[in-house]
Amino acid sequence: MIRGRRKDVEPTVLLGVTSVAGSRVALFLVLVPLLLAGSLLMGPSGIGLPDLDSPVGAAILNLRFSRMVMGMLVGSALSVSGVVFQAILRNPLAEPYVLGVSGGAGLGAAVAILFGAVAAVPLSLPVSAFISAVLTLVLVYWMASRGSGGAPSVYSLILSGVIVSAICSSVIMFLVSTASAEGLHNVIWWMLGNLQPVALEQRVLAAVLIGLGFMVTWMLAMRFNALTLGREMAHYQGMNADLVIFAGLLAATLMAATAVSIGGMIGFVGLIVPHVTRAMFGPDHRLLVPLSAVAGGVFLVLCDAFARTVFAPVEMPVGVITALVGGPFFLLILQRKMKHAWVA
Amino acid sequence: MRGKLVTRDSSHVNGNMEIAYEGGVRVVALDIEHVTAGYAGHEVLRGMTMQVQQGEFVVLIGPNGCGKSTLLKTASGLLRPSAGCVRLFGRDVSGLKPGERARLLGVVPQKVESPMAYTVAEIVMNGRTGASMPWQGLKDEDYVIMERAMIYTNVLSLADRYFTELSGGEQQRVILAMVLAQEPQMIMLDESISHLDINHRYEVLRILRRMNREHGLTVVLVSHDLTLSSEIADRMILMHEGVVRASGLAHEVLCADILSRVYDCELLVQHDALTGTVNVSGVLDGTGPGGQVSRSVHVVAGGGTGIELYRRLGVYGFRVTTGVLNRMDSDAEAARALGIEAVLDLPFSAISTEAAAAASRLACQADVVVLAPVPFGSGNLVNLDILRSALQCGKEVWIADGVAERDYTEGKAAAAVAAELVVAGARLWSSAHELLLELRKSEK
Repeated sequence: MIRGRRKDVEPTVLLGVTSVAGSRVALFLVLVPLLLAGSLLMGPSGIGLPDLDSPVGAAILNLRFSRMVMGMLVGSALSVSGVVFQAILRNPLAEPYVLGVSGGAGLGAAVAILFGAVAAVPLSLPVSAFISAVLTLVLVYWMASRGSGGAPSVYSLILSGVIVSAICSSVIMFLVSTASAEGLHNVIWWMLGNLQPVALEQRVLAAVLIGLGFMVTWMLAMRFNALTLGREMAHYQGMNADLVIFAGLLAATLMAATAVSIGGMIGFVGLIVPHVTRAMFGPDHRLLVPLSAVAGGVFLVLCDAFARTVFAPVEMPVGVITALVGGPFFLLILQRKMKHAWVA
Repeated sequence: MRGKLVTRDSSHVNGNMEIAYEGGVRVVALDIEHVTAGYAGHEVLRGMTMQVQQGEFVVLIGPNGCGKSTLLKTASGLLRPSAGCVRLFGRDVSGLKPGERARLLGVVPQKVESPMAYTVAEIVMNGRTGASMPWQGLKDEDYVIMERAMIYTNVLSLADRYFTELSGGEQQRVILAMVLAQEPQMIMLDESISHLDINHRYEVLRILRRMNREHGLTVVLVSHDLTLSSEIADRMILMHEGVVRASGLAHEVLCADILSRVYDCELLVQHDALTGTVNVSGVLDGTGPGGQVSRSVHVVAGGGTGIELYRRLGVYGFRVTTGVLNRMDSDAEAARALGIEAVLDLPFSAISTEAAAAASRLACQADVVVLAPVPFGSGNLVNLDILRSALQCGKEVWIADGVAERDYTEGKAAAAVAAELVVAGARLWSSAHELLLELRKSEK
């Protein structure tokens, strides 16, 4: 029996817990600032810094920087949210919108746009999207727990989420079908998602909410590892599994709803970035949570840089680019690395 | 050194939580007190009471659905009892903080799977979850504990391998390492080893026994392997229908009488004088306990009355002969199927004197002759002559009681013959079970 610690051997190294992806993580973290800087240089008029001495040039750089911050916020929120949903629901198809966040937020936004609140009251669009997203989660969670008497099972959560989402989409479709052409355009444009900077206070508030969700998620990272072994095993290992599940779902939904409220429903990031991060760096959530936050943010910033430059002066919705550009790239990675992420 | 319990199963001594044993005081590790628990609308545990002492190696047995898994869930606080009280080391389990609970009790479920590709070290790390607060990471101390658990279970060399790529036995050892990394006082295993091959099964048992003997880890093992359990258990607890049916040393719990009733089937129990183990096996065919051929029995039957006797006699290793039977009679078919030597005569006809004579010869070669509860008519009245000649040969003869009620001959001839045979020394039997007991008794 080993009573004391062996001084000459670091137990962490011995166990290979953190040494697995060490060099890769370092490489990745070096790449990140370079990629972000690159996205700042990209503009409709070509690659390079705008003339900073002129007020217009300064404003342009400021705008690009704001969009970069938006992209980092929204991208991190969505991909961390995806990590949490995939861990708690133990399902590779889970994504931030799986529990009806998109349906709820979309319905809230559609109502706000079509009934004129957006024009009349400032901030009404993000606020109504956020509130209806959180309300949807509450509804889904309540529906799922009713049947199982207590904490809901994973399957009833997924099913309730799918059903509530479907109902929300139907209502949105109904509202859109009866709307004017302008209202229709606004709703669709919002639902496709874009990263046009919102007001500063709004960005700060979003950063606070997303930061809060991220902190909760990171603190629970080790517990998410245990949860992937199932709720029962997690309970045996000395955690309040139901509480962790609830807190995790709440934090993930908070992040997703905040992201949706400022950036609209940008798809693909929350589903695929967690997978790719897991394939590259392994499924240990203590690493996976922060790394997928960075990866999601950088990915969305790059996609946005493409969206606003490739077809300039026309700007593409960034949600189109994420899947169109990111899809093939990620498919290549997953093909080679999938066995490091999910069990075959 | 482990002391032998003085008080077993009798609940609290003087109402406190400790039980006296030779040379000291032992804490009750798990105290289940009148616990009723189950799932919505369906009670599995019905007022169950049991105790496990600190340092004991207890094996919990019982048929499927008797509540073993429910007991584990209740003991670990996963399932809240609707009545009664569950205490771990004297503390109510529902009042324990999750981290404290994990340090008292570790559970190894039947199967552990993760959909994600974790390495062995990452899986073992989960064992330290309960020991760290959410805002702390793992400390060096945690890694040392993990390493120690992995050394005990001999999985350190697998640390960087993917958990899912391991064999079943290796996976089970990794899970054991994960649970041992909790540093629990007690560990409960839910049939975790039953799907392993014999080598890996013993490997896991050796680890458990070592932890038990050297570190005083209390072990509760749920098992379906009764023989293996008897080898390793300090004490066995037999559960049935949500209560404890028997508890004690292996040879006290594993007796054919109790087991056959609980498992609702015939079971053979053999004590190995050399190793002290108890061997429990089911019954497959006509080889009796130990497989050696014992006495022979000739059965006089017909019309399906003999089937049960053939089967049971075969089970206990008697060599069986039968006759006279009519061909195509259901007893004749059964005798053919079981490979029993039989004297047969033409179907649906009276028994010929030649056949009866042949049967009498068989009967005189047997040690015992048994008459099944066969109805008598004029056609098979001759069969009673077989019994008479057997008696004359000095054989033990058993007649199924109540011949008169099955006697369809004119003037109740069969009943008269039967009465005469009883006077001559034949004995009466009514239940096959008792008959078997008598035959086996006289065998010894």
